[in-house]
Amino acid sequence: MTERTYIEAIRDALDYEMRRDDRVFLLGEDIGAYGGAFKLTAGMQDEFGTERVLDTPLSEAAIVGAAIGAAYMGMRPVAEMQFIDFITCCFQMITNFAAKSHWRWGAAVPIVIRGPAGGGVGGGPFHSQNVEAYFHHTPGLKIVMPATAADAKGLLIAAIRDPNPVLFLEHKFLYRHIKGEVPDGEHVVELGTAAVAREGTDLSVVTYGAMVHRACAVAQQLRDADGVSVEVIDLRTLKPVDYDTVYASVRKTNKVIVLHEDQLTGGIGGEIAARIGEDVFEWLDGPVVRMGAADTPVPYAHPLEHAFQPNEDRLREACRKLLAY
Amino acid sequence: MKRYKAYDPPEYVSWELDPEELERFDATLAADPARKAVIDALDNDALLGLYTALVRARLHDVHLKRWVKNGVITKAWLATGEEAVTVGSTLALDRRGPDGDVVGPMIRNASACLEMGIPLEQMFGAYLAVDTTPCRGRDIHIGDLAHGVIAPVSHVGSLMPVMVGCALGFKMKREPRVAMTWVGDGASKNGEFHEGANFAAALGLPVVTFIQNNQVALGTPTSQHNKGAFPAFADAYGMPGAVVDGNNVLDVYAASKLAVDRARAGDGPTLLVAETFRMGGHATHDEREARELFAPDVFAAWGKRDPVGVFEAWLMERGVPSSTLSTLEGEVDAALEAAAATALSGRASAQPDPGDLLEGIYA
Repeated sequence: MTERTYIEAIRDALDYEMRRDDRVFLLGEDIGAYGGAFKLTAGMQDEFGTERVLDTPLSEAAIVGAAIGAAYMGMRPVAEMQFIDFITCCFQMITNFAAKSHWRWGAAVPIVIRGPAGGGVGGGPFHSQNVEAYFHHTPGLKIVMPATAADAKGLLIAAIRDPNPVLFLEHKFLYRHIKGEVPDGEHVVELGTAAVAREGTDLSVVTYGAMVHRACAVAQQLRDADGVSVEVIDLRTLKPVDYDTVYASVRKTNKVIVLHEDQLTGGIGGEIAARIGEDVFEWLDGPVVRMGAADTPVPYAHPLEHAFQPNEDRLREACRKLLAY
Repeated sequence: MKRYKAYDPPEYVSWELDPEELERFDATLAADPARKAVIDALDNDALLGLYTALVRARLHDVHLKRWVKNGVITKAWLATGEEAVTVGSTLALDRRGPDGDVVGPMIRNASACLEMGIPLEQMFGAYLAVDTTPCRGRDIHIGDLAHGVIAPVSHVGSLMPVMVGCALGFKMKREPRVAMTWVGDGASKNGEFHEGANFAAALGLPVVTFIQNNQVALGTPTSQHNKGAFPAFADAYGMPGAVVDGNNVLDVYAASKLAVDRARAGDGPTLLVAETFRMGGHATHDEREARELFAPDVFAAWGKRDPVGVFEAWLMERGVPSSTLSTLEGEVDAALEAAAATALSGRASAQPDPGDLLEGIYA
């Protein structure tokens, strides 16, 4: 075990898989000599060469298209979106070419598309978005978003080895804000498995990404102030969702808030809430509550972004209201 | 070759050789010494192979039109008049299968699938939506990696970056293989095409691309949606380019062979522009509208340039007996007839199982 930041854990996963499997290569904008916008790949081109750490033109559709074609020919490409916001430029390649390929004609597309997502860093409307809802609707994709350094490594390794197109969403606020013990060498966290980030008995908060940390902080505050016990479920994989773990928590606490940093309307929380309502209705002692960001673009100014995101105050009040229901 | 009153465009039904077209054909072959050397090296079998593939492309489409007319299928996307573009280019490839070259055909390049080795029965089966093709009735677009064919999506232009990716894989693995694809004049306006073309040039990848200018994008003539010169695209990306006569299978073949050889040698991509003409509709459902897009004399002029008829005349002028050609035509037609009959008779028993609907979402 080594203590690593979230970004170091991602880098560790890339290094490990690149050394283990020479089919694995990276492609993206400015990832080579420049080292990437977040310096995540700094120095990798020196070790692995200009082909396996491939600087591309500013062409997201070509980056993903090239990854798909290379994957058809036996490679294991890991494509970087410099900021995940730019993934909209290759929406068509992902949703139509990559996602449908195996179902449509039996050709697997083992690619990873990874990049920094999320806000809280003053990045504004085009460098802070959460894009999972755009893709959650599309059959054939897997979507992953780690909340911890250890999971960042283990999930990325699993994503690279998965035979399907995987969107790997890294929370840029967590890159250098959190650190944790990360297993050295081989470390795989199976896709499609949620984790109990904090155990509790009175209410469940089902969430992912940076919101896991916010939910755990609120859970501690409520323990200290009100003596209540809040469980926090970290989904880790957003598609397919590990509903078994979600439902087990709901059966235990009987009250649930589905929380995400993405905008509320049309966010994946709506799908999760609907399924809870259909499948474990008898276990509920209150409404399934959703909490997400305001239905606006991500604002640039700090006070606006603070108001936009689900913050600790709002979550704490929502928990208290549901606990009192 | 035999003409089909019910299925061929009227210019083909009444087709007779215009000697000027044969002169044009020969003049094209003589115009470029490098291409001429490629053509001069072709032996009789190779020439007859090109003829056979051209006839196969034409008759494959005739069979589909017959199915449309008889109500077996509702529509088909055909290559009538454009067959030489696909045939001449595909036959310049290494078609050995999973370790050979790869193609990314549009649906109008169906003969690329045929010539890469996808069985005729599967090609017909894809239209019939049966479970016994690689697409299993889930899609009409067929592909099979075992034959080096990447299945397209309907978003034309998207194949370009994917074929560039295949070429990237070849380069990284040091495999002397080539990727080939085609875009229409319409798809050449698509961002993915441009991204892919620049990516190929910037990285020097072994991909050969055709802009197949059939003078019309569905229902809009090229002159309305394009003001630039297609041959200038290659220079703009920084890769070699050339124009070919898309109705002259030998010219297409020679230019393709030169480009494929360059790519295989590690000398990067080529962008070829094939000028041709769509003698039918976007698909079988809009042939009337398609006829109204151009003046009758445009159809008449391109009709004289039937890529099968003129090549047939050229072969006969070189001494190939017409009986040899009609024997080949008969063999091709019989094989297509048998495959179509087998596919059709097996349709009822090969229906996809609704119970399998969710199978294969993930690999």
